[in-house]
Amino acid sequence: MLVSFRWLARHVDLEGITPEQLGNDLTLSTCEVEGIEPFAPHLSNVTVGHVLERVPHPDADKLGVCQVDVGSGEPLQIVCGAPNVGAGQRVAVATIGTVLPGDFKIKKSKIRGVESHGMICSVRELDLGDEHDGIWVLPEPDGEPLALGQSIANALGMGDWVIEIDNKSLTHRPDLWGHRGLAREVAAIYERPLKPIDLTLPDLGGAPAFPVSVADAACSRYIGLGIDGVQNGKSPSWMRQLLLAVGQRPIDLFVDLSNFVMLDLGQPNHAFDRTALDGGGIAVRKAKAGETITTLDGELRKLETSDLLITSGDAPVALAGIMGGEESKIQGGTSKLLLECAAFDAATVRRTSSRLALRTDSSARFEKSLDPTLPEKAAAHFARLLKEIQPGVSFPMILSDEGRWSDPATTIHVRGDVVRRDLGVDLSDEAIADILRRLELTPTAKDGGFEVAIPSARATKDLTMERDLVEEVGRIHRYGSVPEAPLVGAVMPPPFDRRRAMVRAIEDRLAGAARFHQLLSYSFQSDDLLSKVNADSGDFVTARNPVAPELSKIRREVLPSVLGALETARRRRSEVLVFEVGKGYRPEEASEDGMPREVHQVVIAIARSKAAKGDAGFNGGAFFTLRAVVDDVVRAAGVAVPCWSPGGEAHATLHPVKQVIGEWTADGQSAGVIGELDPAVRGRLGLVGELDSDVAVAVLDLDAMLAAPAAPRTYTPLPKFPSVKVDVACVAPAELPASALTKAIEDAGKGSVADIELFDVFKGESLGAGKKSLAYHVVLQSANKTLTDSDAAKFLGRLERTLEAVGAALRR
Amino acid sequence: MTDTDATLSDALGRISTAPDVDTLRSIEREFVGKDGVVASMLAAIPTLPPADRKGAGQSANQLKQAVLTALAEREVALGNAALDAERKGDGFDASLPPPRLERGTLHPVVQVTRELEDLFTSMGYMVLDGPEVELDEYNFEKLNIPADHPARDTQDTFYCNAPGSKATLLLRTHTSPVQVRAMEHLQPPFRAVVPGKVFRQETTDASHEHTFHQMEGIVIDRNVSVGHLIGAMKTLLRGIFKKDIEVRLRPGYFPFVEPGFELDARCPFCEKGCSVCKQSTWIELLPCGLVHPNVLKAGGLDPEEWGGFAFGLGLSRLVMLRYGIDDVRHLLGGDLRFLEQF
Repeated sequence: MLVSFRWLARHVDLEGITPEQLGNDLTLSTCEVEGIEPFAPHLSNVTVGHVLERVPHPDADKLGVCQVDVGSGEPLQIVCGAPNVGAGQRVAVATIGTVLPGDFKIKKSKIRGVESHGMICSVRELDLGDEHDGIWVLPEPDGEPLALGQSIANALGMGDWVIEIDNKSLTHRPDLWGHRGLAREVAAIYERPLKPIDLTLPDLGGAPAFPVSVADAACSRYIGLGIDGVQNGKSPSWMRQLLLAVGQRPIDLFVDLSNFVMLDLGQPNHAFDRTALDGGGIAVRKAKAGETITTLDGELRKLETSDLLITSGDAPVALAGIMGGEESKIQGGTSKLLLECAAFDAATVRRTSSRLALRTDSSARFEKSLDPTLPEKAAAHFARLLKEIQPGVSFPMILSDEGRWSDPATTIHVRGDVVRRDLGVDLSDEAIADILRRLELTPTAKDGGFEVAIPSARATKDLTMERDLVEEVGRIHRYGSVPEAPLVGAVMPPPFDRRRAMVRAIEDRLAGAARFHQLLSYSFQSDDLLSKVNADSGDFVTARNPVAPELSKIRREVLPSVLGALETARRRRSEVLVFEVGKGYRPEEASEDGMPREVHQVVIAIARSKAAKGDAGFNGGAFFTLRAVVDDVVRAAGVAVPCWSPGGEAHATLHPVKQVIGEWTADGQSAGVIGELDPAVRGRLGLVGELDSDVAVAVLDLDAMLAAPAAPRTYTPLPKFPSVKVDVACVAPAELPASALTKAIEDAGKGSVADIELFDVFKGESLGAGKKSLAYHVVLQSANKTLTDSDAAKFLGRLERTLEAVGAALRR
Repeated sequence: MTDTDATLSDALGRISTAPDVDTLRSIEREFVGKDGVVASMLAAIPTLPPADRKGAGQSANQLKQAVLTALAEREVALGNAALDAERKGDGFDASLPPPRLERGTLHPVVQVTRELEDLFTSMGYMVLDGPEVELDEYNFEKLNIPADHPARDTQDTFYCNAPGSKATLLLRTHTSPVQVRAMEHLQPPFRAVVPGKVFRQETTDASHEHTFHQMEGIVIDRNVSVGHLIGAMKTLLRGIFKKDIEVRLRPGYFPFVEPGFELDARCPFCEKGCSVCKQSTWIELLPCGLVHPNVLKAGGLDPEEWGGFAFGLGLSRLVMLRYGIDDVRHLLGGDLRFLEQF
């Protein structure tokens, strides 16, 4: 909202207060001032000139050559094309070097051979209105010609400052949406009186009131003031200047006066051409199904039955509290008006204006819950201002005043002790009462505290309870005067948070030793991405108003988010190592109150250039690297390493064979999955061709890890006896899983196998078709004795038998 | 010159020019080895006349000592020469670039979150988590923002549908819903912070994102005042910026606190105005306030007995301030060129 310093000064004496100081004090006590700018600074550079003479231009019929006295001695020669310029006028002169709106710099020029030393300006050129038919002939506010050479701003009293206030900081203050209300705050801050203003209705005639019927509670009050003998035209200069300062373009008297009253008192109002209204009067009702209205902006609006309308002869003439109708727009010559000042329900106005995306100065005010006593005051203000401007106007009819409204003025009990406790400030009861009085809140001592009378302007929404008055006292006393105090009380370390500790351990391990980069992604996943990675089935929580239509889905799984980042990353590096810890949402597992189940996941991905890595050996590929990383990370999280077994096409994003599923026990709680990407998914993600990549991903379920058997680090005494290292090669059918051989080796060791390390996998004709050979370093260790060659020989003997049992053989 | 003298002179000459230790070892073997010159001189002694035997023994031993001493000296000299040679560095270029050390990184938002979590836990705050897909009731109603409240406009909410759910779901617009969830689950007094993702339906640009991170803080206790709030916020800022920061509290409207404040901090990056503080020397940092009595009631607490304060820290904004990041979209954009800088 824009506020004019000069406008405020109409309501409260601002002598000795600079605009900057005012802005700062409002910020600290009332609302957020976002900026203070001088109004129309160019007006300080445009000077008052006197046209001494105008002669026709020798070479152009329409141009004139003027001699203009700007009080600097020698008159300036200015070429001017305006038809209305003539000797004797006081005009606005932009001299050489002046910059006008639109970054238009005045330069010395030659027009058709005649030198011109400046410009005589029109109203539009000074950005003071739309008139451009001729130059601006300056008014004579005091009945005397303006002194030459002074700035226009100075001569016409147009020097002003525009204070911009953040609307959000006024959300709860319906009373501050006009200059009068803001002046009330200023008066309280500086302890100065508000200037009186006569808000009583002028004498009204006795003709019957204009018929108004209110058929809906969403209009709690409707005032109609009949005005006769009025003539539309230009509004007075002082009003136009104030409106311009707050960014309102003057239109004509009716519009300007209506806007002025709204911006002065905060009460929106609407003037109808009374002759255009049906003789049956005004009816306020809800819209009928299918009804439409063309609003003043020319848009045809489809209405719903929750929209409130002002109608005449059953035809809509205005969208209540938002905008008038095109049809009822005042056309030129009427002399009879009906001024509407009403109280509309905040929620009704807000719903309609947000549905129609039609936010106006009026709707912004109504949706804050305006004071229902204001319509009558606004009508009076309009009437009195109009009478001043056009003394001939009359108000022939009894005031229409319909609707069931009640005065919201109330009382709130406030205790001094509570104010002191909540603010942490030692203020006496008298000091508290004094601050309240400055805000026009009237305290009366009662029950060890005060009964505080809240006037209607503050009672609609803002001030409803004792705590609200604590704020009033605090902000006027200034929070800067509140002494800082330490929190007291026993500080206990918070209970151990295992989930958070686990997440940190996982993140540290991955970003640290394992060298992965942590991603944080959006929770929205695009339809395109989900379909690329075969993850588009299943129920999704969806946003009704997504930022883009294809981004409505809230993720079920973190995995697609991470996969979506791979292609770009791979373009820039041959190896991409990334992970994300995040949440997914599963609507099919909703809680009783309808909340989707939240799953917590760790997703890890490796994407390596196949070309750069070459032959990775039997277990050097991304899949096996990732398996090692996952086990390490799980161990770092203090959880037992799960048992990984072939996944059997469990995960559609992954290669049907190259995937494993982890479980801790037989209960089937899945720890997660590790696998290579399905080749089609990899292709669709663009990780083929020049970006041909070996890609493995892991999805770990954090909730399952929390429930898994803990495996804190434990100490094993160092061996007292030397160990024996035996290398064994096992020949097995190609389809026998390596895990069977590991198990055979462990069984053969009878508890003495301390370590098994696979160091070679070989397939070749020498072994025979369908066979493979796996070679291991096996370390045997006893806690009781030094193992000898004969112990190793016994082990090999047993191994022959255990291998035979699984269909394999020891290769001697 | 005796034979012995000639032998010694020969040995010493060869030792002094021996190029390496292997040559010294072979000279050693030749003269003082098991079958060397000295050994054969000693072996010949019994064949000498008795009167010469003593002198022959002595000169053989002298020869041995002289050769051994020369060998040891030459070996030290050779060793020193080798060290000197190595120390010459032979064309070593210390300015060659080192090989790249690949490293991983924690996301900058996570780093700052952790730092704050640690700061708060050291002051007795719990770290809580809350759902990102939230009920309207917790995001708005229980926070004193009923339907049709104008404050809902400023939140630009993503409302959600979920198959089979009749609840009014949305993506939380702030971390504040956890205030009420905490009151419902914890026994006061308590202190808690809630880091997390929040969502606003708005057009994105370098300074606006539809998804960003916040940290909510809430303290519930008896007799909590604005003075306590100021003290706690100053402590927090000292923790963040590692120095005392001047603050100012001014009225700010948030329906779930009363009174509500905007806390501005004296710009930590300048003294006379800079682009961060838009030349004002103040930066708007922390919305905060005393918990509204209606919110306490919604959380099942009696506002006559319990009070408290709450604050909201823009984590994304703090990360941007700390590192001078000029585009908020980098945070969730997943670009490794961005992430690897932290």
